Amino acid sequence: MSEAAVERDRMAAKAAGPSWPRRLAPPLLTLLGVAILARMAVDVGFSPTRLFHGAGRLGQLVGTMVPPSSGGQFLHILSALGETLAMAFVGTLLGALAALPLGILGAKTVVSQPVLHFAFRRVLDLFRGVPALVWALILVSAFGLGPFAGVCALALADIPHLAKLFAEAIENADAKPVEGVRSTGMAPLGVVRFGLLPQVAPVMASQCLFYLESNFRHAAVLGIVGAGGIGFELEERIRVFAFSVVAFIILLYMLSVAALDTASRELRKRLA
Amino acid sequence: MTLATQARFAAVESFEQERRRILVRHRLQSVVGLILFSLVLAVSLQHSGFLDANIGSDPLARIGVFLGRMTPKLQADALLADRRTAGSLASWFYDLPLWLRAAYQTFEMAALATAIGAAGAVVAGLLCARNLMPFAPVRFVVRRSLEAIRTLPDMILALILVAAFGVGPFAGVLALTVSTVGGLGKLFAEINEQIDPRPLEAIEASGANRARQIRYGVLPQVLPAYASYALIRLEGNLAAAAALGIVGAGGIGLELQRAISYTEFDTYLAILLLMVGMIFAIDIISEQIRHRLIGLGGPR
Repeated sequence: MSEAAVERDRMAAKAAGPSWPRRLAPPLLTLLGVAILARMAVDVGFSPTRLFHGAGRLGQLVGTMVPPSSGGQFLHILSALGETLAMAFVGTLLGALAALPLGILGAKTVVSQPVLHFAFRRVLDLFRGVPALVWALILVSAFGLGPFAGVCALALADIPHLAKLFAEAIENADAKPVEGVRSTGMAPLGVVRFGLLPQVAPVMASQCLFYLESNFRHAAVLGIVGAGGIGFELEERIRVFAFSVVAFIILLYMLSVAALDTASRELRKRLA
Repeated sequence: MTLATQARFAAVESFEQERRRILVRHRLQSVVGLILFSLVLAVSLQHSGFLDANIGSDPLARIGVFLGRMTPKLQADALLADRRTAGSLASWFYDLPLWLRAAYQTFEMAALATAIGAAGAVVAGLLCARNLMPFAPVRFVVRRSLEAIRTLPDMILALILVAAFGVGPFAGVLALTVSTVGGLGKLFAEINEQIDPRPLEAIEASGANRARQIRYGVLPQVLPAYASYALIRLEGNLAAAAALGIVGAGGIGLELQRAISYTEFDTYLAILLLMVGMIFAIDIISEQIRHRLIGLGGPR
């Protein structure tokens, strides 16, 4: 067959579209996926009656939420909210302080030995799988109920995440300013202070702010397992079905999350 | 001294003054910043009760005792014996079949919530993308609702839904679904806003209706990115689903909570290892798939 004929056949085949099995594959795969999901839905106890029944109850609950009221405990709730914020702040700070040396050790530019680097990174990966709530469960049973366990849990959960981010910030730093400072004959500490720190400090600070935001959310959740703060108040109110107070706490909490996020975004914009 | 030299001196003088002013301002800023920071820190330390927390006489010793209770009592010679022998691996993981079933249930919760939530997020993402939704009020309402969902932690959502739908994994799936719509909806909208408008315009010019425009002009461009974000979300949802069990929403978290309340700390460690292993495995698999997706979706 001539080259032109081969080309013509190829074009004809292309115009006719893909072969039947290829055309059938996507819808069949979709069907299979839907079937698997349906099986899973049955497994987790999904049923239309349950959905309708629960939706009705949810409607009733939301009905009792209006109007939201502080139940005469506005200052108490505000103080609990402040406690959650304080937990988030101290937890983030402790986590960042502990993550700093780990991040330096985890940077490829500092510890260049490949096996050590790999092992170190994998250990951090492993600990990243442990959420703050799980740490909180352990620590609450070790230290007893209260915000102390919550702060430690937040810090412990942040360390592997922040260490990885810090390590990446150090790896991404430009080597030229470091070289330049070193060429002036400065001591190693000076090289870090004037060559590296100005590059990585803003990045690290903005990551810490990011984690402060997320820790404020986590700290609220930790209260549920007994680590104090707004989550504790919320869980108690849900348990006694005081849903107008629940609605009040949730609204107040959402407002303060939005406020913290805005403040942190402004600060990060300045750092960048 | 010539006039030129005088001018040069004056220039140097004014430069020095300017530099000094900038330096003083910078120092002042750092001092004020430092004072503010210490103030916030002091108030936080005081208010969180971190320093004067009543954590017993010797916290380090207590951690030691606790860690000791968490370590399983394994014996080298009986390591591979059956579960009735004290000191064997099987006696440490004594309820492994049950835990594996619970772990699978957690995976089911995460997969369902990610799939349904991603489907909802596709709709929400189309409704609040500036280039696809011409009516500003709709965009505004959808965007604000997604933001409101994102401020609410899924655990708090789960608490309320457990109160309405009863204890069990179903309430957990619902809570995760809602928070997945909130998280992915925003990301999908951002992807939609970054598409190349030319294919869309070409299909519009051919006279196709709105649904076909989206099917042939938008979806082929965004699908790889959607899938990649949904997989990342699946990883997150798996960890969240494991944690949700603690408030009564089923899965492996329930077993974790049970081990803690029976003070079986070595069992706790066993379940924790299982959980972390599962999350780790899913992370690796999803990373592989995501890299392949990006490889396929890159050059177009």
